[in-house]
Amino acid sequence: MTPDMELTLPARAENIAIVRHALGGLGEAFGVPESKLSDIRLAVTEACANVVVHAYPEDMEGAMEVHANIDGPEMTVMVRDWGHGIRPRSDSPGLGLGLSLMAALAERVQLGHGTEEHTEVRMTFGLDGVERTNEVISGMITLTGTSGLA
Amino acid sequence: MNGPTTREYEPKATSAVNRLRLASGPALGPVLCRVVSMVLTRADWPVDRLEEAMLVCDALCAHGPRHANNGHLTFSMHADESEAEMRVYEFEREDAEALLRDTSLPVVGNVLEQVADRVSVVSDEDDPERVQIVIALSAS
Repeated sequence: MTPDMELTLPARAENIAIVRHALGGLGEAFGVPESKLSDIRLAVTEACANVVVHAYPEDMEGAMEVHANIDGPEMTVMVRDWGHGIRPRSDSPGLGLGLSLMAALAERVQLGHGTEEHTEVRMTFGLDGVERTNEVISGMITLTGTSGLA
Repeated sequence: MNGPTTREYEPKATSAVNRLRLASGPALGPVLCRVVSMVLTRADWPVDRLEEAMLVCDALCAHGPRHANNGHLTFSMHADESEAEMRVYEFEREDAEALLRDTSLPVVGNVLEQVADRVSVVSDEDDPERVQIVIALSAS
């Protein structure tokens, strides 16, 4: 299925705001409730921040790609990079809560490497508040969420 | 002199979206307008020119889907403090020309040509069978 939105940007911190606004437009168009949209934006912000901070060496600017699709009662957002992906970093400036936060906000989070040597974080959000069954995709780790912080 | 009464010159960063591909559905207008307004705002464009850029987005969203390839429209945009360029991709040449014709209004004329400094249709280097619409805007 072709996503409703594919957005490719330089992986810079200031571009995360563009992703957030784009998701806002998508949510507005499909009538996603504001509280759910806030959760989605926060989780995607974390995934994009991981790309900005961890994916590429400091002297290299790479791309950050965000795909978003709304299909019935689910919204799927995928964040990709072509760098190192997510890996432990002793000098990480963050608190290390990003993955936990994503898992808490989404119903399903899948981390993995794609066929084009990219790293991919795929988050699925239920739009009707109903928790769904987990699926395990080959080669991917699946984290289970609880559909929002509230 | 006390306090920061003068503002030191700071070079503005360019702002860019490498690729934005949107389905020709209800999200086309809201997403395109938000992304373009963010890119231009970050490039420090004045509000009146930003509003005119929204007219360009509105015209593309109103008429683009009729001529879109595979039900999607693909854009790229970059801007600095003085100029911006938006490209719309993946058109057959006749579809691109028809889209530009469609954006003409009685009395007003062609909205894109009225607002933009330059509107052109150029061949796509990656796909010789496709063309791009290039819309150049200036901040002043």
